[in-house]
Amino acid sequence: MECDNVQNRIVDYIENNMSENETTAMKTHLETCNKCQIELKEMQEFLAKVSDDELEQPSKNLRMNFEKMIAEEKELQRTKVVKLKPKTNWKSYLQIAATILLVVSSFLIGRYQNSELHQTEVAKLENESLISKQNTILALMNNQSASKRIQGVEYVEEFTDLDPEIIEALVKRMLNDENTNVRLTAVNALQNFISSEKVKDGFIKALDTEKDPAIQMTLIQALVKIQAKKALKPMQHLLEKEETQPFVKKEIEIALTNII
Amino acid sequence: MKHLTDEELMIGVSNEKLDMLTVLFDRYHVRIFNFFNKMIHNRSVSEDLTQDVFYKVMKYRTSYKKGNFAAWIYTVARNIFSSYYQKQKKESTGELNEYTLKADESLVTNSNQEELNHLQRAIHKLSQDDRELIIMNRYQEIKYHEIAEIIGSTEGAVKVRTHRAIKKLKEIYFQSI
Repeated sequence: MECDNVQNRIVDYIENNMSENETTAMKTHLETCNKCQIELKEMQEFLAKVSDDELEQPSKNLRMNFEKMIAEEKELQRTKVVKLKPKTNWKSYLQIAATILLVVSSFLIGRYQNSELHQTEVAKLENESLISKQNTILALMNNQSASKRIQGVEYVEEFTDLDPEIIEALVKRMLNDENTNVRLTAVNALQNFISSEKVKDGFIKALDTEKDPAIQMTLIQALVKIQAKKALKPMQHLLEKEETQPFVKKEIEIALTNII
Repeated sequence: MKHLTDEELMIGVSNEKLDMLTVLFDRYHVRIFNFFNKMIHNRSVSEDLTQDVFYKVMKYRTSYKKGNFAAWIYTVARNIFSSYYQKQKKESTGELNEYTLKADESLVTNSNQEELNHLQRAIHKLSQDDRELIIMNRYQEIKYHEIAEIIGSTEGAVKVRTHRAIKKLKEIYFQSI
């Protein structure tokens, strides 16, 4: 063994961490080498010194602080456990979903039912108001006061589709009312519904009975517009009448040429 | 609890049995304290750092994965020392040696104590790596293979390096006596 090698293994030699062969080789070398003998002696002395150096004891603070730290952590642990207790599982999610579904569906059902009810109610109300309006019109038309009757006839203009009962009442007003203004208003109102056979017949009949020239003019113009061939005879008749105003006669002449 | 191994206790701690950490504290706190105290020779700082080691062990208990407990706790201790050392180095370069010498002077009582102080001074003349190896192997009596695990080396390399460090220390010790 070389000196370097021996000195590297000297700790192992002191602490008996060597195989038998190695120990023998070390012993052989040490017997002859003075330098290595000194090294061995120094190392033994030194290691003894090191092992003399005992562990120092820390102050009591260290243990106290440690125990305080553990106590605090345990406190934290306890609050943690409480926090984790209400486990969120699929059941609670399902419950929440069901609740939401229930709320939404009941809202929708309520809204749907409500609107349906509302619609029928509105329709009913509209129907009721229509009936009451018609009743009002009929009542007004039969009123003693001429102005009320005019008011009743004028109401008709609001309607686009007339009840046959009202048409009949209007025709009656046109033919029989004693007041000229009422008859004129009725003619004006009925002009919008002249496509109705009843109205047309009423107009033709009125040509015979009507004495007022303004109404006669309106009747003629309305009948020309719809090319009422049936009106030709009563018009001819009116033309021949002596009391018929000249400007009415003139209008009839134009009308006769216009109805083909 | 006293009959359980370090590893069994630490597994218990990682499963939230915090009382088991007290047993580990009983077994290790003096050694860890002496590890720091040999490295920096300052009792109050060493106590703080030891406290810090057990705090980290407690906080990161769930990251313990059944390995050698001694190796694990010394790894924690070395990391704490390393960050402490880096911080000190930034603040003042010479500070570590200064208070070491002051502490030595105040502790002279008898000849044996004087010799131990001399040894302490010699230890501080070593490089940090050599000092650490000697402390772990000679003072803490940690086995070579465990040191290898802690510092991330092989058993053979650790053994050779430790013996060289001992030889170096012995020479410093006898030179200046």
